[in-house]
Amino acid sequence: MSEGTGGAAQAPDSRRLIRSPRDFWGGLALVAVAVFAIWASSDLPGMRGFAFGPGTAPRMFAYCLMALGFGVMLTGFLTDGPPLEDFTFSGTFGGAVLVVALIPIYFFAAQIGKMVPGVSHDVVLAAAGTIVVVVLAFLLTHLAPRGPLFITAATIIFAIAVRPLGLVIASYVSLVISANATKEVHWIETLIWCAVLTTFCAVLFPYGLNLPLQLWPRF
Amino acid sequence: MDLIQNLWFGFGVAVTPMNLLLCLIGALVGTLIGVLPGIGPLATIAMLLPITFGLPPVGALIMLAGIYYGAQYGGSTTSILINIPGESSSVVTALDGHQMAKQGRAGPALAIAAIGSFIAGCFSTVLVAALGVPLTALALKFGPAEYFSLMVLGLVFAVVLAKGSILKAIAMVMLGLLLSCVGSDIETGQSRMAFDIPELADGIGFVTVAMGVFGYAEIMRNLEQEESREIVEAKITGLMPTWKDFKDSAGAIGRGTILGSILGILPGGGAVIASFAAYTFEKKISKNPERFGRGAIEGVAAPESANNAAAQTSFIPLLTLGIPPNAVMALMVGAMTIHGIVPGPQVMTKQPELFWGLICSMWIGNLMLVVINLPLVGVWVSLLRVPYRLLFPAILIFCAIGVYSINNAPADAIMVAVFGFVGYFLVKTEFEPAPMLLGFVLGPLMEENLRRAMLIARGDPTTFLTRPISGGLLAIAAILILLALLPMIRGKRDEVFVESET
Repeated sequence: MSEGTGGAAQAPDSRRLIRSPRDFWGGLALVAVAVFAIWASSDLPGMRGFAFGPGTAPRMFAYCLMALGFGVMLTGFLTDGPPLEDFTFSGTFGGAVLVVALIPIYFFAAQIGKMVPGVSHDVVLAAAGTIVVVVLAFLLTHLAPRGPLFITAATIIFAIAVRPLGLVIASYVSLVISANATKEVHWIETLIWCAVLTTFCAVLFPYGLNLPLQLWPRF
Repeated sequence: MDLIQNLWFGFGVAVTPMNLLLCLIGALVGTLIGVLPGIGPLATIAMLLPITFGLPPVGALIMLAGIYYGAQYGGSTTSILINIPGESSSVVTALDGHQMAKQGRAGPALAIAAIGSFIAGCFSTVLVAALGVPLTALALKFGPAEYFSLMVLGLVFAVVLAKGSILKAIAMVMLGLLLSCVGSDIETGQSRMAFDIPELADGIGFVTVAMGVFGYAEIMRNLEQEESREIVEAKITGLMPTWKDFKDSAGAIGRGTILGSILGILPGGGAVIASFAAYTFEKKISKNPERFGRGAIEGVAAPESANNAAAQTSFIPLLTLGIPPNAVMALMVGAMTIHGIVPGPQVMTKQPELFWGLICSMWIGNLMLVVINLPLVGVWVSLLRVPYRLLFPAILIFCAIGVYSINNAPADAIMVAVFGFVGYFLVKTEFEPAPMLLGFVLGPLMEENLRRAMLIARGDPTTFLTRPISGGLLAIAAILILLALLPMIRGKRDEVFVESET
């Protein structure tokens, strides 16, 4: 997939095949979603007489989406448009890689939880997941923008850590990781500010709003 | 005089100490977050939704409504003081408001924005109350076919009034409808496209989509832009506008209010398009349009009145027909559902305290905003000095904790991140995410009514065309699409949005 890094250098050129890349790639993505949905709903029963089955509406929407997606792609061939913005693909896929990377860790943690007695799988998932996601995010900074990478990483870490490790640790770690989403990280400021925010959340949500959140690890 | 009686009843509900306090908190928190650039009212409401879980339904909705118009109001403060709009409906306010601030007239600009908003708020409150009863009566006569056609019309409006390509907007609606199918089938309970993932069995959470596509995607994009903020350092002296300011802006406030009220009821852009349209209109009819963009007070008064009026009248379709006209109202549907209220005509008959209490609290909330916020301008200004690198982790963790606490499901937080980069991709390829959210909320309702209507008509799809009300609604929808595709009107439509960029 080519990245439209050229910015202004690639002015719209009517001789190129894809004249409006934003329309073309956006439309293609919609077609892909539609095809996936058609496949995913193919096992659902359709019309029974004149009554809708569970699969009728999803397939109807999916076919419409596919047609519309092709329509948008077609405008990409027929009309001139601005080039792709920077990081269109690397930003999107950078985040996606981190989420996908979580799946093998999830199964790995489940195995460890079964094999080693006394170790619960969600602690393994939290520990291993955090390390892998952080390392991966830093490795990917050469390829993808920091924003999507570290915002996604921080959210994943919060999600996998909040149950086994409690709100305080999960928030703090996730906040510190999220601070890396910008290039200029002021470490001391970050560490202090994240502690302040964590304290605020730890008071507001469980006490101020009475939400049933666990504050500390369950050991 | 049923109207006055109803309003009186509503004020009775709204002025209980608890509800007054909630209204105040909502308005203040809304302003606080509205002031901060980079978090719109949508992300704000999504983020703060969990805060209202422990409250009674009336109080919760009063607070959420307060957050909404508070955010509208706060956005204008940011627009005027720094040239970055706090949220999208204040984009045009920045044009003349910031110029006024540069000329040392930030005080009058802020005051006129507040007064205009208040007048618009008063007018639209009465309008909501007046239109509520007849529209509800109409809605109760609707059958499934009519409901389905009404929703089609609503979505068509949303598409026509959305920014950018119409084809792309329709595609977004369709994507939203498709996403809403994930989960279990309404009639048979069969799992659809959920791949045996337990977290998907109940469908994709509404707040999850909204937070991801609006909140997260917004942060990801903001982080790519260099931070540049130009706060007007000069001390704000003299809040009171001069007599001439009042005279200049009176007409603009009136026209903005009316235009905003109409556009707010129509599904689609709501407050955003209202402010654009009011500004464009004001510029068109002005005797010397060259003053616009150079600090014309009408350029502040008109859009600010319009967006506030629209913000309030957009509650009309939600409360009477149960159909959210824009993405923020779609989020309110989510909030109501969480509190066990089914939005629709039955709200007014079954829960009159909710309906009238909410309406009256909007008026009270607007009054509070004027009284409290003008003296607080200094506080808001100091808030603007907080750099974004400190701000975004706070937004992030609020979203994460908030979405997690809805179902105590960690997977929901990961879904937010997924919708975050989905939204990022959509924005990068110039798709508007708002129609998608609307399609997503209306999806289950549409499917249900479509299925019922087809069943009643014994599988005959012409029922939608032969039933008079349904047919009429679909005809209007078809005409709207055709009109929007006509080159002449298309040009006009683009012109309204282009205004902000010139």
